[in-house]
Amino acid sequence: MGLPCAPRPLCWRAVTETAPAPAVSAASQAPAIEVRGLVKRYGEVEALRGIDLTVEAGERFALLGPNGAGKTTLFSILATLRAPTEGGARVLGRDVVAERDAVRREMGIVFQEPAIEQQLSGRDNLLLMGLLYGLTTPAARRRADEILGQLGLADSAGRPAKTLSGGQRRKLELARALVTDPRILFLDEATLGLDVEGRRGFWGHVRGLAAAGRTVFFTTHYMEEAEVADRIALIDAGRIVALDTPRALKSRLGGGVIRLQTEDDTQARAWLTERGLAPEPGTAELMLLHADPAAVLPELLRHLPVKVRRAEVHEPSLEDVFLKLTGRKLGADAPAEKAGGWRGGKGGRGRP
Amino acid sequence: MMLRGIYAIVVLDMKRFWLNRARLFAGLAQPLLYLFVLGAGIGASMGGRMGGGNYQPFIFPGVLGLSQLFTATFAAITIVFDRQIGFFKAVLVSPVPRPAIAIGKIAAGALQAFLQGVVVLPFAWIAQVPFTVGSTIALLGAMALASITFSALGVAVAARFTSTTVFPIVSNAVLLPMYFLSGAMFPLDMAPPWMKVAVFFDPVAYAVDLMRGALLGRFYFNPWLSLGALAVIITLLTWVAVRIFNRGEDDSSLGATNFNWRR
Ligand SMILES: Nc1ncnc2c1ncn2[C@@H]1O[C@H](COP(=O)(O)OP(=O)(O)OP(=O)(O)O)[C@@H](O)[C@H]1O
Ligand SMILES: [Mg+2]
Repeated sequence: MGLPCAPRPLCWRAVTETAPAPAVSAASQAPAIEVRGLVKRYGEVEALRGIDLTVEAGERFALLGPNGAGKTTLFSILATLRAPTEGGARVLGRDVVAERDAVRREMGIVFQEPAIEQQLSGRDNLLLMGLLYGLTTPAARRRADEILGQLGLADSAGRPAKTLSGGQRRKLELARALVTDPRILFLDEATLGLDVEGRRGFWGHVRGLAAAGRTVFFTTHYMEEAEVADRIALIDAGRIVALDTPRALKSRLGGGVIRLQTEDDTQARAWLTERGLAPEPGTAELMLLHADPAAVLPELLRHLPVKVRRAEVHEPSLEDVFLKLTGRKLGADAPAEKAGGWRGGKGGRGRP
Repeated sequence: MMLRGIYAIVVLDMKRFWLNRARLFAGLAQPLLYLFVLGAGIGASMGGRMGGGNYQPFIFPGVLGLSQLFTATFAAITIVFDRQIGFFKAVLVSPVPRPAIAIGKIAAGALQAFLQGVVVLPFAWIAQVPFTVGSTIALLGAMALASITFSALGVAVAARFTSTTVFPIVSNAVLLPMYFLSGAMFPLDMAPPWMKVAVFFDPVAYAVDLMRGALLGRFYFNPWLSLGALAVIITLLTWVAVRIFNRGEDDSSLGATNFNWRR
């Protein structure tokens, strides 16, 4: 960890940048993930409507989108659990349909829902995974103990998994995905249900374990997790609406964001529109993009004909980007935002 | 990979079985009920008409078969349960070949059924079944074959189902007729003609007859016919189970278009 890690809690870049480049074979020079014209229909439902995506080897790539956007569907196809209706996908240069056995050997996945056998101990769960991946019993046992130690689960791994805490269970899921030393890691809302501390710890482990050039492809509803990604794809209704680095995505909005809560939002909206300030359409609250929000806010508050309950100025977040692009909120799971507290800090002091 | 995979599935199921080993003893209730209540009652009312000798020794192999059949079916139900818990997904994305999953499930179910049979075995003594070392060894062999048959049967049926409520109903509708038809509880020589025809298509009949023959030296079928029939049935059912597992619900192997990457 030579490079300074930014004060943000989930910085893991430093680790990978100093890690030695993994030995590369011909196949590993292929992009980690290639998706072309991917369409998936479940009967009437069109879950994916033409996805194109390339994830480079060693990249941390986040997929962000509201519930039902198609994230899990995309994961299932990449993980060889479902077949594409149209188009194709390759993982580490291998077609997920034609060469699915090769894909299966190389990847680890944490599913959105629990995938450990609750009756068995954590150690047994990992042992079985090792066996399923062709390790011998002693090798699987050794590997299981190693991973359990690294994740701080060594003491609780002898108990039936159902007696573990939620956080320990999620960590065990990660251990399960890692026990076979995969080159690519899929995490589908892996930290679901963890508190801030738990998530921090979880990502800390992913960071440490994924340091050796592993590709990590993940979905999350927590913004601060998405920010650690090298690149982010915003997905909505089966389509990718934007794909860029977190910083570039946010700079698309330029300047900053003003949010207002007033006695009469409709009137305020009309007034703002009249003044050419163009609040973002279609959202419940009033949201304005402005090149210099801090400068314009006092003016606004003075002249707005309706009483303002609350005003907030902040740098654009990924949430705002999503809102701007789709007119919809990203975190349909409202608690996700609150738990993270990612919006705090710069919030302006509003007039009562 | 294939053998390792089978081994892994067997280890998984046996570990879970061992956690619920109390079931081995709970599983005694039904066969003992058949043996000592139903068997005693029917036996007494029939007197010596059961082709000479005691009724309880006669049905003992049938009761063994019953306990094995139910244990194997119960083991097969875990396939349906497994689909509902996520762990099975983790199995499905592992590089284990699908046939290994099917075969592993059959092997694990057979092992459990065999163990359950072994637990029932000592009651032969109370039921006054005559046995020797030789007949016991022959019986154990027949039990093993019967266990594999029943397990393959259970897995072939269970592999189709995704609902835990439907499967028991279906399995009862399939297994009970097979069991009653098999001559487990009555001698087939006295059965009506239609039954004598139907019984040729009943895997349970061959299995039970082989066990009875091994124990009492009383065969309805030629033992070679039974052995051959069971071998064919096991192969066939395993093939069916493998095919179903190969398909999965929406597995990549299922009619996916082959994407042309050069395009
Ligand atoms: N097995 C299925 N059968 C039918 N429709 C399905 C199936 N699985 C998913 N869908 C539908 O496909 C769409 C995409 O679902 P998906 O699970 O991929 O969303 P998601 O982005 O993972 O959502 P979430 O954030 O809630 O996990 C949804 O409209 C969903 O209802
Ligand atoms: Mg999902």
